[in-house]
Amino acid sequence: MSEPRTLGSAALVRLVAAREISARIRDKNFIISSVVILVLLIGTLGLQVALGSGGGQTRIGVVGDAATLRPVLEAQGKALDVAVDVQALDDEAAARAAITDGDVDGVLIADGGQQPELLVEQTASGSLQAVVQGAVAQLSVAEQLAAVGIASLDVPELTVTAIDPGADQDGQRVVVAIIGIGVLYGLLILFGQFVAQGVVEEKSSRVVELLLATMRPWQLLAGKIVGLGLLGLAQIVVIAAVGVTGALAFDLVDIPGDLIGTAVSVVAWFVLGYAFYASIFAVAASLVSRQEDLGTVVMPTTLVLVVAFVIGIQASADPGGALAVITSYVPGLSPLVMPVRQAAGDVALWEMALAVVLMLVAIGLIVRLGGRVYAGALLRTSGKTKLREALKAERV
Amino acid sequence: MLDFDGLRKSFGDNHVLDGVGFTVAPGSMFGFVGSNGAGKTTTMRIAMGLVRADAGEVRWHGRPLDPEARRRVGYMPEERGLYPKMKVGEQITYFARLHGLGAAEAARASEEWVERLGLGERRGDQVEKLSLGNQQRVQLAAALVSRPEVLILDEPFSGLDPIGVDSLAEALLDQCRRGVPVVFSSHQLELVERLCDSVGILARGRMVATGTVEELRRREAGRLLRVVVPDAPPHWADRLPGVRVVSEQAGDTLLELADGTDDQAVLAAALRTGRVTHFAWQQPTLVELFREAVAAPKAVEVAA
Repeated sequence: MSEPRTLGSAALVRLVAAREISARIRDKNFIISSVVILVLLIGTLGLQVALGSGGGQTRIGVVGDAATLRPVLEAQGKALDVAVDVQALDDEAAARAAITDGDVDGVLIADGGQQPELLVEQTASGSLQAVVQGAVAQLSVAEQLAAVGIASLDVPELTVTAIDPGADQDGQRVVVAIIGIGVLYGLLILFGQFVAQGVVEEKSSRVVELLLATMRPWQLLAGKIVGLGLLGLAQIVVIAAVGVTGALAFDLVDIPGDLIGTAVSVVAWFVLGYAFYASIFAVAASLVSRQEDLGTVVMPTTLVLVVAFVIGIQASADPGGALAVITSYVPGLSPLVMPVRQAAGDVALWEMALAVVLMLVAIGLIVRLGGRVYAGALLRTSGKTKLREALKAERV
Repeated sequence: MLDFDGLRKSFGDNHVLDGVGFTVAPGSMFGFVGSNGAGKTTTMRIAMGLVRADAGEVRWHGRPLDPEARRRVGYMPEERGLYPKMKVGEQITYFARLHGLGAAEAARASEEWVERLGLGERRGDQVEKLSLGNQQRVQLAAALVSRPEVLILDEPFSGLDPIGVDSLAEALLDQCRRGVPVVFSSHQLELVERLCDSVGILARGRMVATGTVEELRRREAGRLLRVVVPDAPPHWADRLPGVRVVSEQAGDTLLELADGTDDQAVLAAALRTGRVTHFAWQQPTLVELFREAVAAPKAVEVAA
């Protein structure tokens, strides 16, 4: 047997972090929450795909000269902003069968000289009727013009000029940002809670005394935050990867570059936001010794997170507004506001840098001050410790 | 040598420790006794760096016990503490690693201690599912798994059934034989008397007595001699020089001998009265020594 080695801070922090990860990965709450988040995400993607394909489409069967009718029907559909799917059918019997089976929404019967007829199951939807009516009318006009010898009409071409070609894409960017900060908010709350519960568990089970006989309080705190943080980071990266890959694979967005950019900025803000909130949650939790008391001490911080989330949502409606601009610099609020402003695309580099620097300064302060509270409160394993007592308490 | 030297500690106006000092030799067991609130736990917590002493220090091999040296100390806190939801084997492995064992070695040592303390079948169970007695064994394993150079145990025997007490005692004696100094506190004085090479009695933040049980007896006992002479006439010992009769009942006589009085002369006198069925220096038990030592100073004066 070799002699036990001396352990450096890094080794201790690593040991603590590894324990946190292995304990949490097997924790039922964690597994359930991870599965729920992924299922929600995949469900949302699936729903988008389903809505994007079947729902908005009008399927029209054609009995007669399908080759002529198809381009006209599709052109009408495009003009009316209705996706049209044209199917050629043999005769009226086949048309009736296709309608009853639900293969098509309606069938246009136009074989020969008689009046064209639209066959439907019960009623023709507005778009269906409009598309077919328009197509039939256009064909008829063309035929009658041809009959009187006019081959083509000289109709002036309409020029379309967009005053905001990116409006739709901006909308998509903001939706992506809202989804992003939604995930960010959920994970910050979740992992903040994990950190807080972990701290109280160590206090309430008194194992903290045994731990502090082998390490300093800051090493324990750092290991806990780093371990759970890596787990949270892994989770948000997986979510971002699945979301982005899914959205790109199913062609749900027109702005792949911006989507990836927003996903990256959400992940980056998660790191900063987590460091900020996890430290506060840990310090707050160190003041109590029972899980039952945890709610009251973490409540103020949770409220700040909720407020940040609400401002983030609001900022998506008005990214250039004073509220959004100011709060995007405020440490603690910035992780949930800045990604929205970034997605809306009107953030200068220096603004981003300022928000990050302010956040880093705040994290530094919290870690220093919070570390003192944590160290002072950790061994007071009875009842609640007041913040001031913890600051005054001797640290070992 | 494990030296506790001149430890002082007060919490506000409350002077918990007022110059506590004692020494434990490698391979010897030191029993730390004292009434509740006497300062035993604070002394041990100072050794473990959990409380900072106002003055004094704890030294191991002549060097102050620093965080690195503490890694070689096995510790069992008064309030037991383990991760309730962590499995027994993993938990012991984790503590082994915190004390500096490598991964493979920690796993091996954990395995060994789990078997040794009869927890083999519970290895994969969460600690909270174990009985209190078994949790106590896990706690002991956590203290012993890293092959510590020093053991500091706060009330290790409390809450154990007699069989648990025996197996813990055996484990501690085993550690002593390895050359480890063992310090433990306990209220079970017979146990301390039976196991410990030396004893320290703490009262009101001071060591009121330290030494081997034998030394304490000699110091505290006075010179009480019990002689049972069934056939002797009453007052048989009244005239013996340097002897005061403390009590006498049907030949069962308790004598206090002045310094320099020859006990063999007393024996000879007793034999002259007929049969002597008992002749021995009165051995105060540790319980009696303890009562004597921790009694409030005022009470001692009254008794004297």
